This record gives sequence, C-alpha cells and structure tokens, in this order.
Amino acid sequence: MSFLKLDGVTKTFGGLTAVNAVDLTVEKGQIYSLIGPNGAGKTTLFNLISSIFPVSAGRITFDGQDITRTPTHAMAGLGMARTFQNLAVFKHETVVNNILVGLHSSLRTDLFSAAIFWGRARREEIRARERAEEIIEFLEIEDLRDLPVGTLSYGQQKRVELGRALAVDPKLLLLDEMVSGMNQEEREEIGRFVLDLKEELGMTVFMVEHDMGIVMDISDRVCVMHHGSKIAEGTPAEVSADPVVIEAYLGSRSRAA
Amino acid sequence: MRTGHFQETTGQLIALTDSPAVIGWTGVLIAGLLAAPLVVGNYELTLMVTVLIAVVGAVGLNLLTGTTGLISLGQAGFLAVGAYGNAVLMVDYGWPVWLSLPAGGVVSALISLLVGIPSLRLKGLYLAITTLAFSFIVSHVILYAEPITHGPNGIFVNGAKILGVNVQKGPALYYLTLFVAVCVVLMVLNMQRTRLGRGWLAIRDHDIAARAMGIDLTRYKLLAFVVSSFIVGIAGGLLSLQIRFINIDVFGLILSIEALAIIILGGMGSVAGAIMGAVFLTLLPEAIRIAFNLILTPGSAFYSTYVYEIRGVAYGAVIVAFLRFKPDGLIGLWRDARKYWSNWPLAY
Repeated sequence: MSFLKLDGVTKTFGGLTAVNAVDLTVEKGQIYSLIGPNGAGKTTLFNLISSIFPVSAGRITFDGQDITRTPTHAMAGLGMARTFQNLAVFKHETVVNNILVGLHSSLRTDLFSAAIFWGRARREEIRARERAEEIIEFLEIEDLRDLPVGTLSYGQQKRVELGRALAVDPKLLLLDEMVSGMNQEEREEIGRFVLDLKEELGMTVFMVEHDMGIVMDISDRVCVMHHGSKIAEGTPAEVSADPVVIEAYLGSRSRAA
Repeated sequence: MRTGHFQETTGQLIALTDSPAVIGWTGVLIAGLLAAPLVVGNYELTLMVTVLIAVVGAVGLNLLTGTTGLISLGQAGFLAVGAYGNAVLMVDYGWPVWLSLPAGGVVSALISLLVGIPSLRLKGLYLAITTLAFSFIVSHVILYAEPITHGPNGIFVNGAKILGVNVQKGPALYYLTLFVAVCVVLMVLNMQRTRLGRGWLAIRDHDIAARAMGIDLTRYKLLAFVVSSFIVGIAGGLLSLQIRFINIDVFGLILSIEALAIIILGGMGSVAGAIMGAVFLTLLPEAIRIAFNLILTPGSAFYSTYVYEIRGVAYGAVIVAFLRFKPDGLIGLWRDARKYWSNWPLAY
C-alpha cells in the first residue's frame, strides 16, 4: 500500500498542459525529491497534491484515501502540510502566532467558548501554546518568538514557515524549494532538520528542490520532471547518471557540439 | 530599562496581560468610568455615551476590516439594521430592551450573511463597493418597507426600561452602554487569542497559506461578517436608545466613512487601537468646537454655520496625516512610547 500515489495526474491551464499524466508513488518514511528545470511543472504538481488547484484529470490517493476532490482546508486535518516556494508566512503576526495557526485543525474551540475563554477553550490554548513552544525549540528560534515574522531575515522566515507546517503534525510534509536563497550554513541546517524529521519522527518528506547538493545528500528517491512530464525516477545516483536527465538539464550532446 | 520579566506557566503566556501595571491601570480606568456620572455634568455624560457607542461599533468593524482584512463601507447599513431591529421590536412589538437590543444584533448578523456570501469571492476595493451598495439597499428597503419600519416617518424610541429604570437618559444609559462596551471588548479580545482570531489574521495576511493550514475560508469569512455585524448591530441599537428618534438620514454614507476612519486612526487589527480611534475621532469635533470658541469672538456664527464642513475637513486632514506620518495609527504611537520607556535609557 503506497502512501502517496499519483495516477495520471494532469493539469491544463487553457491550452497549456502544465502537468502531463504524471504517475508517482511515495512510500512511507521516504525523503522523496522532485527536481527539474525551471517551468517543468514541479510547483504546479505540488499545488495539485495539496489541492490548491483542482486536477484536470487523474487521481491522487493519500494514506489510503482518495483526495482528488478534497477541499484545500481539509488536507491539514488528513495529515498533509506544506511550505510555499515564495514565502507565505503571515508577516504581520508574531512567530508564535504563525506556528499556532498550523495547529488550527487540531483545535476545537468554537465561537462561544472562544468569546468566554474559560475552561475548555483556555486549557486548549495552553496545550496549543506548549506544542508551539516545542516546535520553536526544535527549530532553535526561541529568541525570535515574539517578533513579527515580516521583520525577520529570509532564512528565518523560511524556518518559521517550516515550523508552521510542522505544527500541523503532518504524516506527509511537502517542502517547496526550502533552501532557495539561503546561504550554505542555513542550507545545511535545513538539511539536518529534514533528516531529523524522517529519522526521529518517521515523517515522510516530499520536496521540490533546485539545490542538487541537498537533493543528492538526503533523498531516498528522486523524480525528474521536464515540460510537465516525468522523465526519470530512481535513487540519486541512478538519476544523476541517467542520460535523459542530463539532456533535460544540459541539452543534447549533438546539438551542443 | 525593564528587565527580569519572566513567565512561569504557559497560562501566563496566553493571558490577556500578566503585567501588574496594566491590571492596575485598567482597574483605575474602570473605577474612573464607573464613578464618572458622579463627577461630570449631563453634557459630558452624553458625550461619553457617544464615545462608548463608537467604541462598540469600531471594535465590531475592526474585527472584519482590521483583523480579517475585509474592507467594509457598509457599516451604516449594519448600524441601521441594528437600530431599526431594536426600535421596531421594542416600540411596535413591546419587547423589553434587554431582549430587543441583542435581537437587533442578531438581525444584523443574519442580514450580514446576505452580503457575506457574494463577498466571499471579492477582495479589497470590490468588497468595499459591494458593502457600500449594501448600505444603500438597506436604506431604500427601510424607506419603502413602511408597514414595518414606518418608512420616511422614522421611529420614536422611548420608554426603554431595565428593572423599572429608564435606560435612555443620564447615568442609566451611560452604565448600560459601558456594560455593553466592556462585554464586547472582552469578547473580541478573547476571540482574538484563540484559533478563530488566528484564522482571521491568517486570512488577512495570506489566504492560500491559511487554506493550506486547514482554515476554511468560506466559514471563517462568514463568521467574521456575522460576529462583526452582530456587534455593530448592537451599537446601532444603543444609538437608537440614545438619540430617541431614528430615520434613514441618521445612517448616511459619512457614518461608514467615520467608522473606517476610526479604525485607520486607531491602528488596524488592534482592539486597543479601535478604542483609541473611537475616543479620538468622537472627541475631535468637540476639540475643534472648543478651539473655535477660543479663537473666534464670542457670538460668532462661523462655527455653527459650517459645522459639518469643518468636521469633514478635519476628518480628512487627520486621516491623511496619519496615513502619511503614522500608518500604524494611535496604537503604533502608543507602542513606540512604551518601547521607548521600557528600554530607557538605552536606544533599543
């Protein structure tokens, strides 16, 4: 039983086919990377998996459930969280509040108990806050917790976004170009966090990444997309030796010569 | 410099405040407000009631526009619905005011669903126009639904009693408004520190990310509309008690603009800001009146002749000045001052 399975997933925008009949399978506990040249359709595929866009054709199953038509806001409850390619943090809010938003679907407070804020609502808030503090500690951002996220550096904001996704307590974590725009030190830290997530928490991580260093270092499996189609899949070593992949990235030998 | 500020339990972290100074000063403020009718004259008391009603309305609007980021120019409409709801139920159906006042809020909340649903797909200016249209529709419906609303004749709102006390004048009205204002402020502050408040803020800052984090946009936007309109409707009901005669002319476009001006001046998204803005903008005409009386020769009719024009100019000037020099509003000024003093003598 595969954990995340895409079956002929296709997305067209008018006449443009952004994702063309992609099949892929992510097994539980894997770090699975999706790479490809710019415009290959990687982010679009992510948006289809997290149901931000509806698929034009095909089927997506996650943890034994068909999620092809599940609304976006239900995904967190099913155990899927994601980060975005271009920061999508709540930038006027503090770091703590950003992370607390990730806990949204695990909380139950309704309008009336919220207005009174006594008993159950208060206990639930305390629990949520404790959980948020754990995540803050894991990501080593204790000194930033009360600052508005918009005032932080790019790398710090990315880290908050990762924290927010972790707050969902996901079984599957989708990371869209997590390390872009980061320096070497920050990249290595993120790589270490991702490995920790897999090894300590047994989380499945599916990432879109341009940074080949991190892809080759930590991935269990790599999938390559080009012009909306999947062109190769395998271990990092297999993929990097695949002539089709080399051609997609560098152009064909005959033309180059 | 203020140092050594630590929390020992998570409960303290989520409390509205754990600072003894804030608790102390809030106590002083409440005590002062409770004692006010003993000290001040009738005119000042009326002014304070007006301020408190503005506070209720501003906190309501702030929830929708400041916190959730849905710009509304329809406040006058919701105020009108609340005011008429209260007035009709109280005067024509003989409901006691403690029931008709919240009922007016409920009517306003239900009607907000009508605006809320088409507004789900609209943002920014488009939503502002839709809500503006809504407030015009409301005044037309009120004008033509004569059997219920008395149309152009308006309604005289008299004889509201709670426990045998007339709550439409003097200290009784003041205490009623104060009670409602305190309840509303506490309610909203509480909501803002739960997942509801965070959901609204998330929608304002990044709606796609909010959805991905499990926030149902439809539900939360409608919830913001309903809660906000309920509060604004109650402000309308209080207004009808205070002014004792309502017709549609009371609820003109300028009222919606004033409401928006209040939360811009106060600082969007902050309850304390909305309160400050309401106090500031409601007392501004008063300050201008006093200033004119000092400048002009006694008996000059200049101010009374141009009162509306002067007021309009003053609102405009103040809004422009704040947007230019202090976009965070009064709450931003307050935060700066607090930061300055708590860091003193260091710069930061």
